[in-house]
Amino acid sequence: MNSDMRPLPDSAPVSPLSDVRVDAGATATPIPSGARGRRNLAGALSDDSRLAVAIRGLLEQGDMDAARERFGELVTLHQRRASRIAYQYLRDSADADEAVQDAFVKVFSHLTGYREAWPFEVWFTRILINGCLDRRKARARRDRWFVAGEASNADEARMSAADAAPDPERRLLARERRARLAAAIARLGGRQRTVFTLCHYGDCTPREVSAMTGLNESTVRVHLFRAARKLRGLLGGTP
Amino acid sequence: MIARTRHLRDDRLVDCYVTERHGDALDPPVAEHLGDCASCGARYLELAQFLDALRAEGDADADALFTPERLRAQHQQIARRLEAVGRPARVISFPRQLVRRTITASTSRMAPRWVAATAAAGLFVGVALGAGYEWSAHARSVQQRLAVDSGADRSTRSAPVTVRGASTPDVADDVFLSELEMALERPHTRELQAFDAFTPHVRPIRDESR
Repeated sequence: MNSDMRPLPDSAPVSPLSDVRVDAGATATPIPSGARGRRNLAGALSDDSRLAVAIRGLLEQGDMDAARERFGELVTLHQRRASRIAYQYLRDSADADEAVQDAFVKVFSHLTGYREAWPFEVWFTRILINGCLDRRKARARRDRWFVAGEASNADEARMSAADAAPDPERRLLARERRARLAAAIARLGGRQRTVFTLCHYGDCTPREVSAMTGLNESTVRVHLFRAARKLRGLLGGTP
Repeated sequence: MIARTRHLRDDRLVDCYVTERHGDALDPPVAEHLGDCASCGARYLELAQFLDALRAEGDADADALFTPERLRAQHQQIARRLEAVGRPARVISFPRQLVRRTITASTSRMAPRWVAATAAAGLFVGVALGAGYEWSAHARSVQQRLAVDSGADRSTRSAPVTVRGASTPDVADDVFLSELEMALERPHTRELQAFDAFTPHVRPIRDESR
């Protein structure tokens, strides 16, 4: 860390949430567009939000088959990003897979309650993050009784297979690096991890993260900075 | 305008990184400072490299696991699960094989009951027949006794009442059995008979003591 870095106060602006869990009604300030909508005009609905509104209309008309059909497009739009976020949270691809599926099914079930004031991406990510947090809690409870695994063997095998390096030594180093990175992220505090994951892997702006978590935007920035600083300290400047 | 002497703080650098990554423009004074100040520029570059590498590493891991095939399978799985949303719950029919197995199992449980019932019935019939036979034998012996009382001798009367009814064969049996006992009590080999002669026997001693 640089010497001219301003030491941040220990008590960052306190959010109304005491838990890390994303609160569905935490902020009342609607934000005009999501990550995909940033490329659109401000105030205009993003593509995915428009699609969500259309599906909501179909659901209200009772046309379930058409709604399902169009929902597939939403799934295609958000699936990869959702999987990345869920994986960074859970560090287990099977768990992440289930969390993503659950989030999409939940979104479809409650789509009639969707309001355009929120970009669909924000709304969906909230649901996804809540599901991931629930799974983490359940896993923590399970790990009290069973030996916890860092990553499943199947995951490790898949990543090794995807690794282009034919050299076993390099593959071993990559594996160690992954384990070190996972351990470093796991050592972040709950809010820091949430903010960092959403900003860094979820491609969300601090403003969007603020909308998702109910934290102030400045608090999000503080958590993001602290997470980056801690990770640099833990990983020694290189991931 | 940021003075050259005051460097950018790390939190500001992180802000700059996030802003740039999302394609937004930096504040002009900050951008100018980063361009002019070699120290801040180097720090920013180092931070950006670190965070970029972190992100690339995480994304590569996730992408290695969530391959296009897996995402397609996930998509199909979601579609399958959505089929059930908004539809009334299906009543799952009870598996036929299980029912058949249950019936077979209950049938096989019934078999021992029949066996037990048959055995009980057989026992009852046996006991009843036995009791009937005893009763008829008793009646017959009473008739015989009445007949003996009328003309038979005393020794015959003192003999135990048997179905055979004749007393002479009983005496002969007793004699035969006594001889048999005597023969069994003595050694069978000749070599031992001499020793046996010297050995005192319980019966003579008992008789003498009387």
